[in-house]
Amino acid sequence: MKHMLKSIFRSGKFVAGFAIFAAILLGVLIYPIFVPDPPLKIIAQGTFFEPGIYVSVYDSLSAPTHILNLDEASTKRITSKLSEDDRVAIQKWLVGAGIPEAEIDLANTEQLLEQWFSNYDSTKRVAGMTNADRNYYIRLNTAVTGLLGDEGVSIAVVNPDTGVLEEIGTVLATDYVNVGEVANVRVLPLGTDNFGRDVLTELVAATRVSLQIGLVAGIIATLIGLILGLVSGYIGGFVDDAIMFITNLFTVIPSFVLLILISFSIGQDKRGPFMVAMVIGFTSWVWTARAVRSQVISLRNRDHVNLSKLSGHSITHIILADILPYIASYVVMALILQISSGILAEAGLSILGLGPRTTDMPTLGLMMQWAMIYQAHILGKWWAYFPVIITIAMITFSMNLMNTGLDQVFNPALRE
Amino acid sequence: MKKTLLSVFALLMVLSLVLSACGGAEAPVAEEPAAEAPAVVEEAPVEEAPVVEEAAAEEPADPNSLPRNETLYFNGQQWGSVVGWNPYSSNNNNALAIAQQDSARVPMFETPYLYNMLDGQVYPLLADGPYEWNDARTEITFKINPAAHWNDGTPVTAEDVAYTWASHVKYNTPTGSGNVDYIDDIVAADDMTVVIKAKLGEDGAALNPLIVAAYVSTNYVIQKAWTEALEARVGDDATAFMADAAEDVVYSGPYGKYFADDSKVVYIRDDNYWGQDVSMWGKLPAPKYLAHTIFKDNAAGTTALQAGEVDVSQQFNSNVQDFWLKEGLPISTYLPEAPYGIGASLPTAFYNLESPGLDQPAVRKAIAMAVDYPTIIANAMTNQSATFDQVPRSLMNPTPGEQALYDHAAVADLQFAGNDVEGAKALLDEAGIVDTDGDGWREYNGENLSYVATCPNGWSDWQASIEVVAAAGAEIGIDITTNYPEWSVYQTVVTKSDAPLPEGYDIFMMWSDGAGPTQPWSRIRKLMSSEFNGMASNWNGNWGQYENADADVLIKAIPTETDEAKLNEMYTELVSIYLTDVPSFTLMYRPQSFHTVNESVWTNFPYEGDGTNPPVPPLDLTDGWSIAGLYNLTLVNP
Repeated sequence: MKHMLKSIFRSGKFVAGFAIFAAILLGVLIYPIFVPDPPLKIIAQGTFFEPGIYVSVYDSLSAPTHILNLDEASTKRITSKLSEDDRVAIQKWLVGAGIPEAEIDLANTEQLLEQWFSNYDSTKRVAGMTNADRNYYIRLNTAVTGLLGDEGVSIAVVNPDTGVLEEIGTVLATDYVNVGEVANVRVLPLGTDNFGRDVLTELVAATRVSLQIGLVAGIIATLIGLILGLVSGYIGGFVDDAIMFITNLFTVIPSFVLLILISFSIGQDKRGPFMVAMVIGFTSWVWTARAVRSQVISLRNRDHVNLSKLSGHSITHIILADILPYIASYVVMALILQISSGILAEAGLSILGLGPRTTDMPTLGLMMQWAMIYQAHILGKWWAYFPVIITIAMITFSMNLMNTGLDQVFNPALRE
Repeated sequence: MKKTLLSVFALLMVLSLVLSACGGAEAPVAEEPAAEAPAVVEEAPVEEAPVVEEAAAEEPADPNSLPRNETLYFNGQQWGSVVGWNPYSSNNNNALAIAQQDSARVPMFETPYLYNMLDGQVYPLLADGPYEWNDARTEITFKINPAAHWNDGTPVTAEDVAYTWASHVKYNTPTGSGNVDYIDDIVAADDMTVVIKAKLGEDGAALNPLIVAAYVSTNYVIQKAWTEALEARVGDDATAFMADAAEDVVYSGPYGKYFADDSKVVYIRDDNYWGQDVSMWGKLPAPKYLAHTIFKDNAAGTTALQAGEVDVSQQFNSNVQDFWLKEGLPISTYLPEAPYGIGASLPTAFYNLESPGLDQPAVRKAIAMAVDYPTIIANAMTNQSATFDQVPRSLMNPTPGEQALYDHAAVADLQFAGNDVEGAKALLDEAGIVDTDGDGWREYNGENLSYVATCPNGWSDWQASIEVVAAAGAEIGIDITTNYPEWSVYQTVVTKSDAPLPEGYDIFMMWSDGAGPTQPWSRIRKLMSSEFNGMASNWNGNWGQYENADADVLIKAIPTETDEAKLNEMYTELVSIYLTDVPSFTLMYRPQSFHTVNESVWTNFPYEGDGTNPPVPPLDLTDGWSIAGLYNLTLVNP
């Protein structure tokens, strides 16, 4: 046993696969300790907030301020509100309003804005201007108003007794807060989804559920396949014919089609993650059964099996003690593949809207489904679906790596 | 080799099955914008509309490459291929041509008057001057515009109007059966004068003057000669009469059929259109072609809008502001800021009043109070709805006309804006509905309050709203789970009002009426009137089967009431009953039509404050008075 483990862990592919898988597993176990939020809690008012660090504006106002005099600050501020395109647009408007193009200097922000403020009129329709342009100029005008001022912004509160606004402070352009000193800062490394849920928290929970689904589906499929394969391979005769008849039936019908039909007929209200896992398990045992059967057939006439028969051991004993150990390595590999295909099957089902019902638990497939319903792929909201795809890919990749690694160790034909 | 072939074949089969399954699963998304038009949902018979190029000789434009500068492209209206052109049928699946509704769609067929949802007025189209009630308010009289003629050149007469009505009644069309209880007859007093006679009650007054008056702006005038030709063709068989595809139909509007197949439908301008007469528009509408590509789903439509291949979009585009703020596209909406459009209808969550516990107003109101509406509006509607702080809830839509119809102060105490978890808990505690066994869920009659909230699968914004409703339950100790059946199942269950709703439909979402000449009365009727209870197929409303005698009396009395102060009092009373009993609760405000325009080719679309008088409503330039916008369009680069 020790030797076997040693040889397994000497396989580079297995170790790589194992490391990736362990990292995913560790992440799933550790993350909830640090971020204990319920994964389906709607925290954002609005859809698809971009990944980033969200700092409470309200709390920043009361955080200690520090004055930093940075050369680039005002340039950055002006560029953020008044891009090169905006300057060209202002020029276009001014020319349309009758200002000679020669008098407009795009590089001179002060002069440009002065010309803008003295000429701009939101009700004026310059020739060739669409309503979209009109709205754009109104927004631009709001954005650049007060851009060059250096008097700061006042903070005022309503006096509850008099109802009058009273100034309680001023924020200057040179005031900074240290993010560490702001009471409320929320990091959303993967932003939020269409419901306003934290994608990373949801992803971790979904990975856990999907792994569970894969495990349950894999164990069910492997168990069924193993038992049927052992029985039909060892006993042979009519039993073999009967079992192979059923197996062949299932082979001919693509299992995914079967999966779709069963999931649909169960109805969404009864489709919990466990139910979906069972359905996947019960439809994907076929190849395991066939493979185990053929291995058993080649084993059943070995000398040690015949010896065991002569010694009067029961069929169960022979199967368990004399045959199973010889195919155990294959079964483990089959299980790994079944788990990974179980996870893929759940994702496939959920994308078709036939996965587990929503609101109970997130799964990787459901996250993809909602991202698709909300057109995240068209609107460029990559964070809502790409991390999910990567996670699915990494899980199946790591499992396939482990499987290949094991194959190299156990398969005499591949042994180096 | 054989094996490889076999596996390739198997793979192909699986792939095709998966693909077709994908298509099936996405179809409801595509139908989603049609949520408010039950007629569209009816399965269109698979019938290839024959390709006819009517005016092929003088119109050489290939329908697959129309001149861009002469074509106005739409999306979000036509899903699936056109079935027919028969204005008597409600199964044409011909979105741009035929829709007899509050703001009737008039590019092809025309109504006597055009309803304008912005000012609540009607303006003459085929009619000449305003219509008039007689002194007893039992008859409406209006004149036909002498300039009006059909596309075959013959004049539109009062006899056409009368014969249209007679045919609706004779063949029991949806228009006929919907109005025959309120309209006694429509007759031609002379060639140009139409008289609509209302059905009278025992007291000699019209049963429902509102519905009678609405007829003139919601129903098309159809040519008598063509109707007779159709009758001769089908041999007076009512089913055949309504099923006829009517490729030869005669119309009075500015556009007619040019091309239709399963990929697009194109309408071409009739340059002989009577409306260029100075008594009407004085000119022809700007686009020579109206075209609607049949997109696979919303996503395809959105992509086309972004690419400038669609000019007018009647689709729910989530985060519509990203088009201009982030992508810098020349796309705009009626209002430049949220809610971007004019809210007109009230998507509503109905309670199954037979569910254990939901027969208690306290439970109904508590759930409604605890729901986080700001999140529904921000997330499900991406802020394309006014909030309940801006427009406090009532039975009215956010338009100023309807808002003025009730006394805001009188019902202020009853209104709720959501997120009031403490208030909801207090309400339940007060009603004695508390958690006695300590499992976290409240009980009523010894049973945990546990409900299923539902809406059709794939209707993404509704599903997101229902998720938020379910989340509110947990906050106040009521277990609410969600479930999304397919639309085909859902619609048959909720519209069956002659039996209690089955399990799994405790809280469910449906629509309500938008803006129109009979509103807000008709909307209130459909939200509260018990007259629909017991109908085997109820497409009207009150799907939770609510019953309140006081409300029924008020709903019956409003149409005949003309005193504005009294009306205000009655509407206020109804709002008060609604907000006390909470038989259903509005989740958001939604525009009548979504109206997002891309100004890559055309400009001068309606926007708030565009200076048009009367104002052109944002109804995609096809519905009611919004057709006036077609005459204002200009090219960005002429």
